Amino acid sequence: MRLEPLELRLLRQGGPLLDQVRQALAAHGRPLRWAITAVEPSPAGPVLVVEAVLVIEDDL
Amino acid sequence: MASPMPTLLVIPTGIGCEQGGYAGDALPAARLLAAASGCLITHPNVMNGAALYWSDPRIQYVEGSALNRFASGALGLRPVRRQRLGLLLDGGMEPELRQRHLQVVDGCRATLGLEIGPVITTDTPLGVSLSQGASGASWGQLERPDVLLRAGEHLLAQGATAIAVVARFPEDPGSEALAAYRQGSGVDGLAGAEAVISHLLSSHLGIPCAHAPALSPLPLDPALDPRAAGEELGYTFLPCVLVGLSRAPQLVPLEAASPAVLADPQLLGRDQLGAVVAPAGALGGEAVLACAELGVPLTTVANPCLLDVTAAALGLEAIAASSYAEAAGLVLALREGLSPDALRRPFPRPFAPGLA
Repeated sequence: MRLEPLELRLLRQGGPLLDQVRQALAAHGRPLRWAITAVEPSPAGPVLVVEAVLVIEDDL
Repeated sequence: MASPMPTLLVIPTGIGCEQGGYAGDALPAARLLAAASGCLITHPNVMNGAALYWSDPRIQYVEGSALNRFASGALGLRPVRRQRLGLLLDGGMEPELRQRHLQVVDGCRATLGLEIGPVITTDTPLGVSLSQGASGASWGQLERPDVLLRAGEHLLAQGATAIAVVARFPEDPGSEALAAYRQGSGVDGLAGAEAVISHLLSSHLGIPCAHAPALSPLPLDPALDPRAAGEELGYTFLPCVLVGLSRAPQLVPLEAASPAVLADPQLLGRDQLGAVVAPAGALGGEAVLACAELGVPLTTVANPCLLDVTAAALGLEAIAASSYAEAAGLVLALREGLSPDALRRPFPRPFAPGLA
C-alpha cells in the first residue's frame, strides 16, 4: 500500500458534482482525501481542479 | 426554545482560513454555533488548540473522513459518555519527545480523569513528509501507511475505542512559511499531512481517530500571533486531541445496522441535519457537497482563505453571512423555524405565483 498525490482537471458535467468527482478519482485509486480547489473557465465549460491523496494498493 | 437542530460546521484544514486556520482559533465560533443549534458536529481542525481545548456536550468531535461519511449517509453518530483512548506513537520520535507525550497522558489521566491506554510505539518510523498542492494548500505523505494501520489494528484488538496518533513531523524552524504562520499570515504547513494520517486510520478501523504532530519546541517569538499561541504553550499538541476524542461519538455504519440500532433515539444521522456552515471560498469538500446535494441549508461565511471555490462557482444555493456571529443568528433562526429572508432588508420582492 502507498499514498499518491494527484491533481485532476475535470470538465464539469450537468447534474450533481459529488459523483462526478468521485468517479473521476476512482479511476486513479482509492480517494483518501480530496477537495475541489479551483473552478476555472474554459471554452467547453467550467473545469474543476481537484487535489487529492489516493491510496494505491500494490499488486502482490 | 426549539429542540436542538443538528448543524455541521466545516472549516477545512491547511488552506489558511483567517478564522480556523491556526491553533483551534475557530473554537469560539464553534461554541457559539453549538449554543445556537443545540447540537454541533464539527472536526478536529476547528476544536484542536494544542494545549488549549474546550469540552462541550453539545459539540460532537468527528474526524474529517468520518465527517465525510456521515454527510454522505454511510455513518451515524452515537454520543457516548467516554471513549477508551489508545495512543499510537511514531517509532521515529526521539526518547525525550516520546516521554513528553507520555507525561501528557499521565496528566490527562490524573487531572482530567480520562481513561487512556493501551499505548503502542510503532516498530518502524512512519516517515511523514510535507508538501503543497498547486493551490498552496498543505498536503502530506506517509512513507509507511502499512505500519500505521498495523499499529492501529493492534490497539483496537487491545480494547481501544478511539485512537490518538502522534507522528514525528519534519522540522524546519527557519522556514519562511513557518515564520508567516507564526505571524498570522500563512498556511498551517502541517495540517494536510495530519489530515491524511487521521483519514487513513479512521477509515480503516471505523473508530474515532485524531492526530497530534510531534515537534521540538520553537525559539520564543515575541511577535507570535495570538491565533497560533495555543501551539507554543507546552511541549506537545496532544492534550486537545485526548480531550476531543474522550467523548467523540461512536461511528455507526448504517448499511449493516440492525433495526434496533437505527431506532436508537440517540443516533444522529445526516437526515437530521438542519444546517451546514462553511467558509464562503472553501465549498469544494466532500461533506459540504454531500449536504448541499441533499438540500441541507448551506450558510457560507466570509472567512478569507487560499481558495475561491464559492457557491456561485459550484452552482450551489447558499445563505451568505459576513461573520460566524451572523451565521449563528441564521442557524438560530432556522432552529426556530424562521425564514432567514424575513431578517434581511431590503425584503425580498413580493412572492410572484407562477401561471398554471
